[in-house]
Amino acid sequence: MRWRTALLAGLLALLMPLAAGADEQGGSVKAGEWDQYKARFLDSGGRIIDDANGNVSHSEGQGYGLLLAVLAENPADFALIWSFTRRELLLRDDGLAAWKWSPSETPHIIDINNATDGDILIAYALVLAGERWKRQDYSQAASRIARAILDNALLDHGGRTLLLPGVSGFGTTDRPDGPVVNPSYWIFEAFPALDRVAPSPRWKKLSDDGLALLNAVQSGPRKLPADWVSLRAMPKPAQGFPAEFGYNALRIPLYLARADMGGRELMARLREGMTGDNDALVLSDASTGAVEASLTDPGYRFVNHILACVLDRVPIPDRVKVFSPTQYYPSTLHLLGLSYVREKRPECL
Amino acid sequence: MKSSIVAIAAVMTTAIGVAGLTDGGFLRQDNKKLGSLTGESQGASAVSGIAGEGGRGAPQFTEVAQADRPSEEAKSPGKPQPVVDESALRYFAAKGDTARLQAEISRLRSLYPDWVPPADPLAVPRNTDVALETMWRLYSEGRYAEVRKAIAERQAKETAWQPPSDLLERLNVAEARARLVNASELKQYETVISAAASTPSLLTCSEVDVLWHVANAFAQTKRPERARDAYLYVLKNCENAPERLATVQKAAAVLPYATLQDLLAYERTSPEGVPEFESIRDDLARRFVAEGDEDKTLAVDPKYVQRVEKLAETGGTASDALLLGWYQLRRDNMSAAEQWFQRAHDKEDSASAAQGLALTLIARKAPAEAEAVLYRWRDSSPDALATYFAATANLLAIDPPLALDAAVLARIAAETTKAREPATAQQFGWYARALNQPATAAQWFATALRWKPDDEPSAYGLALSRDQLGDKDGVVEIQRLWSGRSERIARLGEVKEQLDEVNRVRAPIVEAQRAQPQATTRTTVVTEVVEQPVSQRPRVTGSAQKAVRTGAGCRTTINPAGMAPQAALARGWCLMDLNRPLEAAEAFEVALQASASQVREDAAYGQSLAYLRAGLTNKAAVSATKSTQNRGRADELQTAILADRAIAAFNAKRYREAILFLDQLGQISTRRQDLMVLRGYAYMNLKYHAEARRIFEALAATGNRDAMQGLAAVEASQEIWPNKN
Repeated sequence: MRWRTALLAGLLALLMPLAAGADEQGGSVKAGEWDQYKARFLDSGGRIIDDANGNVSHSEGQGYGLLLAVLAENPADFALIWSFTRRELLLRDDGLAAWKWSPSETPHIIDINNATDGDILIAYALVLAGERWKRQDYSQAASRIARAILDNALLDHGGRTLLLPGVSGFGTTDRPDGPVVNPSYWIFEAFPALDRVAPSPRWKKLSDDGLALLNAVQSGPRKLPADWVSLRAMPKPAQGFPAEFGYNALRIPLYLARADMGGRELMARLREGMTGDNDALVLSDASTGAVEASLTDPGYRFVNHILACVLDRVPIPDRVKVFSPTQYYPSTLHLLGLSYVREKRPECL
Repeated sequence: MKSSIVAIAAVMTTAIGVAGLTDGGFLRQDNKKLGSLTGESQGASAVSGIAGEGGRGAPQFTEVAQADRPSEEAKSPGKPQPVVDESALRYFAAKGDTARLQAEISRLRSLYPDWVPPADPLAVPRNTDVALETMWRLYSEGRYAEVRKAIAERQAKETAWQPPSDLLERLNVAEARARLVNASELKQYETVISAAASTPSLLTCSEVDVLWHVANAFAQTKRPERARDAYLYVLKNCENAPERLATVQKAAAVLPYATLQDLLAYERTSPEGVPEFESIRDDLARRFVAEGDEDKTLAVDPKYVQRVEKLAETGGTASDALLLGWYQLRRDNMSAAEQWFQRAHDKEDSASAAQGLALTLIARKAPAEAEAVLYRWRDSSPDALATYFAATANLLAIDPPLALDAAVLARIAAETTKAREPATAQQFGWYARALNQPATAAQWFATALRWKPDDEPSAYGLALSRDQLGDKDGVVEIQRLWSGRSERIARLGEVKEQLDEVNRVRAPIVEAQRAQPQATTRTTVVTEVVEQPVSQRPRVTGSAQKAVRTGAGCRTTINPAGMAPQAALARGWCLMDLNRPLEAAEAFEVALQASASQVREDAAYGQSLAYLRAGLTNKAAVSATKSTQNRGRADELQTAILADRAIAAFNAKRYREAILFLDQLGQISTRRQDLMVLRGYAYMNLKYHAEARRIFEALAATGNRDAMQGLAAVEASQEIWPNKN
C-alpha cells in the first residue's frame, strides 16, 4: 500500500495549486537566517563572497544574494547588493554581467565573459523585487537584462531553444563539440518572471526544451546529467570538462522543485542516482557511475531531503531545519531549499 | 576625484553657472555642459547629441530629463517657499571641508535665488538627523552601495521618509561615474557611452577624465568625429593647462591626422607668445610622420616632416631617421628613403632599418647588398625572420630575374629549408622557371606545397612546370587535386590552346631532363640572365598572383590604349598566360574596338575570362555581353559566372540565392559535381535535410568523397537529442 500513497501524494503535490507564497509578516527566508548568511558571505560593500573559491565574487553569487534578499524581505540588503552588482559586474556592452570579480586584481573583472545563470538569477531577483517593492527602476533593469539574454544567450539548435552557458565559447562554431550546455543553468522558476518583463514565446520554449533536455540526458549507469553536456550529436559529456554529475548539476532537482516542474519519473531518477548513505549527496563519474564525492554538508543534503519530500512526503529532518552557514554554495542551496519547503511543502516540515 | 564629485551636483540643474568660484578645480563652464559637443548650446541637448547618433542611450536621456524636473519645480513660482535642503551644507561644515562647502553654497544659491546662506557657514548647526548624516558620510567615503542600503533601510522603517533629492542625484552620478570607468577599463565602450548619455552631468570640465573615457570609447568604436567633439569640448571650454595638454596627447593616440588638426586649431598662446602644446610638438610631429608611414596617401604638413628631419639631424636618434625612411619609401622617394635608412642603419642597426634599407637597395637593383644587410637579422626575432624572407622572396621575384651569387642563393635556400618557408620556396620555383629550369622549379613548387598544402600559386606553378616538362599525367593529377578550388589550374590546357590560336611562341624548353634534385641541398645555378627593361616594384610580401615569366613579349608594362586591336588581343592572351588578368582585361578592352567581329568576339570572351580569373564576376558578366559569342563560349562563360555567383552567395550564407544560381546553371550546363555538393550544403544550411540527403546520397553513390562527407554532416546535424518536431 505504501507505494500507492506515495504516488498519490506525489500526484497531489504536482497538481496542488501552489500559490501560498511567503507570509506577509516575514520572508520565506527568516531574518535570523539571512543575518547569519550575510554575516558570512556578504561584505559591507554589497559583494557576495565565494569563500570556497579564493573569495572571488561572481554574477551567480550576486544573483543568489539578490534572490535571497528578496526571499528574506530585505529591501535594504537588496539595494546594497544591487548597487555593487550594477556598478562592478553589469558592464558588458551587450547588457549582460561580467561573470568573475576578484578582490586582488585590477581591474577586478578577470573574465569579461558572462555566465548566463548569473544573468538569469540577477534579472529574476530584480523582477521579484520590482514587483514586491513597487520599484520601477528594478523592473526596468530586469527587463534590460532579460532582453539581453534573449538576444545574446539563447541558441536555436536542432529545433531546440538552448541556453548558452556564456555568450562566448560554447556555440556550434566555438568548439568541435559545440554547442555545449550546462543543464543546471536552466533556472526554471525564473522564466515566467522574465517573460513578464520581456515578453517572448521563447521563454516557454526554453523552459520546455530544458525539461526535455533533462529527460534526455542520462549518462552512465546512474542515468544522471553531466555538469557540461555537448549537444553536437547525441548528448554526451562535453570535452574539456570533468565528465561528472558534479557541483553544477546537483542543484537541478532544487530548481525543478522550486518551479514545480520535473515530474515523478525524472525526480525519482535523479534521487536514485544522487542519494547516498545517510542522505549524503553523491557526485559521480558520468560514464562509470563511480562515486567521486559524498557530500554531507546540510545544504547539499537538503537537495536530497527535498526530493524525498516531493516524492514520498518524507519529513525534513529536524537537524537541517536549522540553518547554520558553512560555505557559500551549500549555504545558498540550503536557504533556497528551506524557503521552498516553507512556501510550498509545509507538510514536510 | 572626490573633490570634484561635489561639483558635479551643481551641474545637475539647468541653472546658471557657478559664479564666484575661484577654486580652479571646480567647474566654471557648467552652463555649456556638453552642448558644444554637438554644436548646440544647451546642456540638455548635449546628451541627445551623444546618444542620438549612436542610437543608444536615448531612453536614458528621457529618464534623466525627468529626473531633473523636481529641482525645476522647486524654483517654479507656483511653490511659495521652497524648503532648502541644507543637509549637505551641514555635513561639509561639520567636516570643515570648506571647498565642498563653498561649492554647495553656490549650488544652493543658483537653485534658490532667495535663499540666504548662513553668515558663518562653518558655524551652521550639525545635522540633527543622524541617519542622514551617516548617509552623507558614507557618500563622501565613496561607499555608494552602503548609502543605497541606508536609504532603503530607513524607508522600510519610515514609509513616509524620502531621501533628499540632492543626495539621490549625487549618488546616481557617482555610481554612474564608477560604472563608466569600470566599463572603460574593460573596453566595454558601448556601456561607457550609454552611461555617459544617461548621466550628462558627468560630462563637464570638472570631470575631464570622464570626458577622456567617453572620447576614447567613441574612437574605439570607430566614431572619430564624435571622439573629436568630446576632446574639442575640453579644448573649447576647460581651463586646466595640464588637462588640456593631456587631452591633445590622448587624442593623438587614437585620432587620425586630419582630425587632430581640428583640435590643434584650438591651441592657445601664452602672453609670452608660447603655444601651449609646444612641449609635445616634437612627439606630435613624430606621430604624424609615423601615420604617414602607414598611409602613403596621407599628406603630412611639411612643417612636421621638417621638424622630424631636424630632430633626426640634431638629436640623431635612429628612430627618427627610421620614421623618415619609411615615410619617404611609401612615397617612392627612394633615394631620400635610402639616405634616412642608411643613417638609421649606421646609427643603430635594427631589423626595421635593415629591411627599409634593403628595400631601397632592391629598388636600385642592389639586391645582393639588400640580402646581405638583412642576413644577420634573420634570427633576431620572428619578425626579423619574416622580414628576411620577405626580402628573399622579393629578391627572387624581381623581374627580370637577377643574377645572384651562388653562395647567396645557397644560404637563402638553406634558410628557406630550415624555416620551411613556403613563400620563398615558391619564389625559388618561379625563379627557376624564369631561368628555364622547369625541373628545379617543379621541385621547389612541390616543396612549397609540402609546407603549405593550400598554396594555390605553388600548385599552379607546379602544374605549369609539369606541363612544360611534358608531364601530362602530372598536370592532370594537380587538376584533379585542385578541382573546384582553382580556376586557372583547371583551365591550364585551355589557356594554352588560346595561346596557340594567337600564334604565340612558347619559350623553348631547355631543361628537359626530369631529374629530381634534393630540395634540402639544392642550389639554383644561374646560367643566364636576360636583361630587360622593368618597371615592376618589389613586393614586400610574397605575392599570391605571381607572374609567370617565360621571356615572352608582354612582360613590360605598357599602356595598351595605342595598340592595334589585333595586337592588343594578342597581348591580352599573353597577359592571361602571365596570370595578370586585370592588365589582360585592359588589353582586351582595346581589342574590343576592332572592326572585325571575330576579334571583338575573342576580345569579349578573353575579357570575361580575365575578369573571372580576377574574381570580378559582375564585370565578367558585363564583358560576356560585349559581343555575340558562339554557343559553346557563351555557355562556358555563363557557367563560370553563375558558378562564381553561387559560390559567393553560399560563402555569404545566402543559401537560397546560391540555389537560385545553381538552378539557372542547371539549365545551361551539365552538372558539375562540386557544385552539386555545394547545393547539398546549401539545402543543409537551410535545414532542408531531405533534399540535402537526396543530393548527397546520389553523388556519394558515384564515389564522390565530398558528398560522403556531406551525407555524414546531414546525419550529424539531425542527430540532435530526440527532436520532437
